[in-house]
Amino acid sequence: MNESADLTAARNRAAIMEELRRLMPGAEGLRTALPFGLFAIDSHLPQGGLACGALHEIVPGGERAIAAAFGFIAALLARLPRTQRLVFIVPGYEQRHYGRLSGHGLNALGFDPARLILVETAHRTQTLWAMEEALRSGAPAAVAGIVDKLDLKLSQRLHLAAADCGLPLLLIRPARDLESSAAATRWRIGTAEAARDRFGLITRPRWRLHLERVRNGRPGEWVVEYDHVAHRFSLAAALADPAHARSASQKAGEETNRQAHCA
Amino acid sequence: MLAAQAKKPAKKPTDKPIAPEAPFVLTVAGSGGPRIAALNEAAEAAGLAPGEPLADARAKAEFLQVRAVDTAADDAALRRLALWATRYTPTASPYDEANGADGFFLDIEGSAHLFGGEAQLIADLTGRLRKFGLPSRVAVASTPGAAWALSRFHAAALFVLPPRQEAEALSSLPIKALRLAADTRAALHRLGFKTVGALLDKPRAPFAARFRAELLRRIDQALGRVDEPLVPVVAPPVYHSLRYLLEPVGTQDAVVALARRLMQTLAHVLARDNAGARALRLSLYNVDGAVEAIDIALTMPARDADHVARLIALKLEALAAMQDTGFGFEAVGLAVTRAERMTAQQTEFTAAGDSDRTERCAALIDALRQRLGPASVRRFEPVASHIPEQAELLTPAIGDTTAWPAADGKMRPLLMLPKAEPAEVTALVPEGPPRRFCWRGVSYDVAGAQGPERIGAEWWRAPPEVCASERQAALTRDYFVVEDAGGHRFWLFREGLYGRETAAARWFVHGLFA
Repeated sequence: MNESADLTAARNRAAIMEELRRLMPGAEGLRTALPFGLFAIDSHLPQGGLACGALHEIVPGGERAIAAAFGFIAALLARLPRTQRLVFIVPGYEQRHYGRLSGHGLNALGFDPARLILVETAHRTQTLWAMEEALRSGAPAAVAGIVDKLDLKLSQRLHLAAADCGLPLLLIRPARDLESSAAATRWRIGTAEAARDRFGLITRPRWRLHLERVRNGRPGEWVVEYDHVAHRFSLAAALADPAHARSASQKAGEETNRQAHCA
Repeated sequence: MLAAQAKKPAKKPTDKPIAPEAPFVLTVAGSGGPRIAALNEAAEAAGLAPGEPLADARAKAEFLQVRAVDTAADDAALRRLALWATRYTPTASPYDEANGADGFFLDIEGSAHLFGGEAQLIADLTGRLRKFGLPSRVAVASTPGAAWALSRFHAAALFVLPPRQEAEALSSLPIKALRLAADTRAALHRLGFKTVGALLDKPRAPFAARFRAELLRRIDQALGRVDEPLVPVVAPPVYHSLRYLLEPVGTQDAVVALARRLMQTLAHVLARDNAGARALRLSLYNVDGAVEAIDIALTMPARDADHVARLIALKLEALAAMQDTGFGFEAVGLAVTRAERMTAQQTEFTAAGDSDRTERCAALIDALRQRLGPASVRRFEPVASHIPEQAELLTPAIGDTTAWPAADGKMRPLLMLPKAEPAEVTALVPEGPPRRFCWRGVSYDVAGAQGPERIGAEWWRAPPEVCASERQAALTRDYFVVEDAGGHRFWLFREGLYGRETAAARWFVHGLFA
């Protein structure tokens, strides 16, 4: 009788600990991976998530997909504990071309802009130096940035810096300058039509993720949507006929427009 | 003992300059609205007096210039003046609140002869104060109380009272000269006492019974029957260390090593005072006489020698190209130009403590700022504005972060273009959402548009005289979230309302959604 009560208590404790571990990643010990929280994707990655202490390349699928790549990074990093700062290192010339990150935009994606330290660099050497400096300082929870050209040697150096301090380094790489690199994963982020509610209003952004390369894992392709309130990725309804979805959303959009004009 | 009273030099830098020849008053919040705390000569000539309600003063004087009193700045200015006055004696004590906070005591016992006597000393003092633009009244007496009273109420602006004549000198002065609280003064006034002499003639016992101890204490202090200790002003500490070298050094490593050694000596002094450095200046004295100064700013107060040495190394690396060491440096000095309070902190047992992270973050920001320039490390600051490009600010990442409001469900693009770029748009109806648009030479078919979100110009921000001329520039914008067939999402806006603001509205692309 007594024994069985003890056993139940121990089980409860185990369940509670499990729950706590799920709720507070990184609370005990060092975090080893940034999970997506989606079995379909996590099972393709060796650590059950995007490995910490590694270099990851994020390639925008196309000239205009850079915002999607930024959104993907912001969504991933927003899932980290809120108290920790994050560092974005962006060359000034890239910002002038694509536009710069907007605090309200990050906020709308569920990413608290107050956590972000935005570093603007003048040239590539500075970018690389700042990335290594940020990694080695051990201050932020993750480092992200844009680097245009990166040869194998430089990527190895960055990868080692990330590995030494156990922090993820997410690099946006323009598709035109891809070379072989020491990155643990390479993602190609494409745009996809956003999830809409029944009135045709955009509710959640969708991205087409293509895991092109992964060390000790399996490549794969998914369409995910991101819920900025719950900080949760989910697979977009893969079975729905895209043509059907589009026509429905268009019709709904037109109707609302027509109503707007009437009013 | 010497009491010097100087008119308050209280002037606050404000947008509108003060005309010194016109009436000007400083006000303090009192019972029944603001009251005059200090005033200039023109205001005095207009018949105003300290303590008068501001409303009355405005009725009396035309074109009255009014500012609120900045007590902290006044105190700091008085302290600075008292520190300056330590040139006459080490014991200089600025007046506290009970003394009126508008002057200082100097204990010139034993130091007056260095200036040729008390009269010469006060002549020198007033002369110098006048050069600062501060009219002053000075009195010398054997007790602080008597000196205070005479400096305020004696007919002569400069007055030296021979010893043991306090009672005679004070007896003709008003009750105010005793530094009493307002209610005690009022009670004495009601009883018919007008001068100090009237009080001195009466027996002490009834006063002790009817009044607080303050009255007799002030009388005794003025006459020298009890001591009145003065709190001397203490100069703020100077954190500076300098090292002369036998052999000049020219290499960066040597300079950094020296700077580390200097910071280690400073760290002890800083730790003693619970202070940390927020800004440092490294001075390199070249053999040929030139001095190079390297300024270092820190995000958080720190006294860690290694951190400072690293920042100096980063700065020197950045300067290396333009720096010519010549024959080398023969002396190296390190000074803390801004010190701030830094309390000891309990270190966390686990390595990943939050406070530890904050410190490391500050160290990282310092290092990045040193190398990349102070403007390149920034953070987002929310601004209460509806205009998207003005709704946030990138500020240098120093100090505490401002909390952001929770997202309110409005769609805002992740990437904002530095400047809204014109686009050619085809729409079915003039006020409708776009159907097709062409931006940066690529044309997009719109698959779905959401909007409009109408954002008007913020008329309450512009001053009224600007408003009329700029009405054309500040047009209402209708924002649309537009998605093309490929899933790219854009933020477009149409500037101007058809018919009311413009005949041909223009379209712009303002941002890209994730």
